Amino acid sequence: MSESRSPRPDEEPPDEQPSEGSPPVVVAVTRTGGFAGLTKAWTAEPREDEASVWSELISRCPWDEPARTDPHSADRFQWNIRAQCGPDEDRRADLPDRALTGPWRELVDAVLTWNAGRSRG
Amino acid sequence: MRHAIVPPYLLARIAAATEPHLAHAAEAARATLAGKRDYRPERSRLRLSIGEDGSLVAETAPAPDRTISDARGRATLPGVRVRSEDDPPTGDEAADEAFDGLGATFDFYWDAYRRNGIDDAGGQLLATVHYGTDYDNAFWNGERMVFGDGDGQIFTGFTNSLTVIAHELTHGVTEAAGGLEYQGQSGALNESISDVFGALADQHQRGQTADQASWLIGEGIFTPAVQGRALRSLKDPGTAYDDDVLGKDPQPAHMRDYVVTTGDNGGVHINSGIPNRAFALAALTLGGHAWEGAGRIWYRTLTSGGLTPTTDFAEFAAATIQTAEAEYGVTSEEVSAVRDAWTEVGVIGDERIEKPAA
Repeated sequence: MSESRSPRPDEEPPDEQPSEGSPPVVVAVTRTGGFAGLTKAWTAEPREDEASVWSELISRCPWDEPARTDPHSADRFQWNIRAQCGPDEDRRADLPDRALTGPWRELVDAVLTWNAGRSRG
Repeated sequence: MRHAIVPPYLLARIAAATEPHLAHAAEAARATLAGKRDYRPERSRLRLSIGEDGSLVAETAPAPDRTISDARGRATLPGVRVRSEDDPPTGDEAADEAFDGLGATFDFYWDAYRRNGIDDAGGQLLATVHYGTDYDNAFWNGERMVFGDGDGQIFTGFTNSLTVIAHELTHGVTEAAGGLEYQGQSGALNESISDVFGALADQHQRGQTADQASWLIGEGIFTPAVQGRALRSLKDPGTAYDDDVLGKDPQPAHMRDYVVTTGDNGGVHINSGIPNRAFALAALTLGGHAWEGAGRIWYRTLTSGGLTPTTDFAEFAAATIQTAEAEYGVTSEEVSAVRDAWTEVGVIGDERIEKPAA
């Protein structure tokens, strides 16, 4: 079921406090489902000087909106997005492919682009 | 029997025939010609064959009503219309493959089960090709089938295999039959039914018997770089691919290996391996054309109104046994083949879910 949860769920172990070397923002995207049923995952760990741009992208997403579903479609992707900004903010959302629009799409595209840049570099 | 859309000039000659043994054919041809093709809400065609006494047999049969659109690399639907029923091939491989695949699937459903399209009422078959950029998926959005081109590294495109096209069309059939919620076991059944009829449409087109069939879904959609034959195997779930990048085919073949996960709507593309294998086992036991024995039982189970949207594996298994009993008799080989198949995959015999069939 799709859901939007914030802040951190109970089952997650507490993360390390950010210190030198640990990025202030981490965004993880996992895509499951689709006709092939293959899971793909991407993570962005932007540098500290990029953090404000990422915080802006993250804050524009409607994390606390009620769960969105797409009951009449099949074989579409399902997206899990998790964003950690510093020690206190840990947000996550599960979205059907149809809901991946606007600020969600921008955030996911930013993570995919960040990944592609790193794998080339 | 081969099917062809009879050109109007030939229809006219048949319609004008006065020989007594052609009377029925002439009448059917006149009926076909009388319809205004452009404005008919329901399409039909004339099928000709030679009867046992050597006479020409003509019958009208429904024809598909296909419209293919091209999203031209954008993720918007429906895209630009590029081919409708009376148009010549576009020359675009994906558009023409989708058009032909929908036609083959329509023919399969009509020949095997006398089903007239997705809604069994001759409704439109809609598809969009070239959806998105490097888009690694094909899906059903509740109204139309949508096909990406693949990224060229793992997937070559999703219209290459009739199993994929028939899989997507079957999602529409399942929804028209009352639906199976796309979550957990009912979702895995929804997926399995699409794989079953996807495979059967392909076997029907190739004229294969159960023992001749590959039982693979998505053969030919991987690039040569991928170590794998296809995406899924109904006969041997978990063996379709084993690749450095993709990993190993995660499908279980037995209830003891049922995968509990929150992703993929609760593993609908993973746990479908269990009912997929049950179908393949039943079909292989019965032999012959799989769409005729096991396929008929699964089709009647899906469309008879006996399922609910939250039907689970055990309820579906019981329903297929009931269907087999009603169609073939309680002591028939069909009933034992179906019951044995569900037992072999652990759906019957597991004390959590065991229940009498009737």
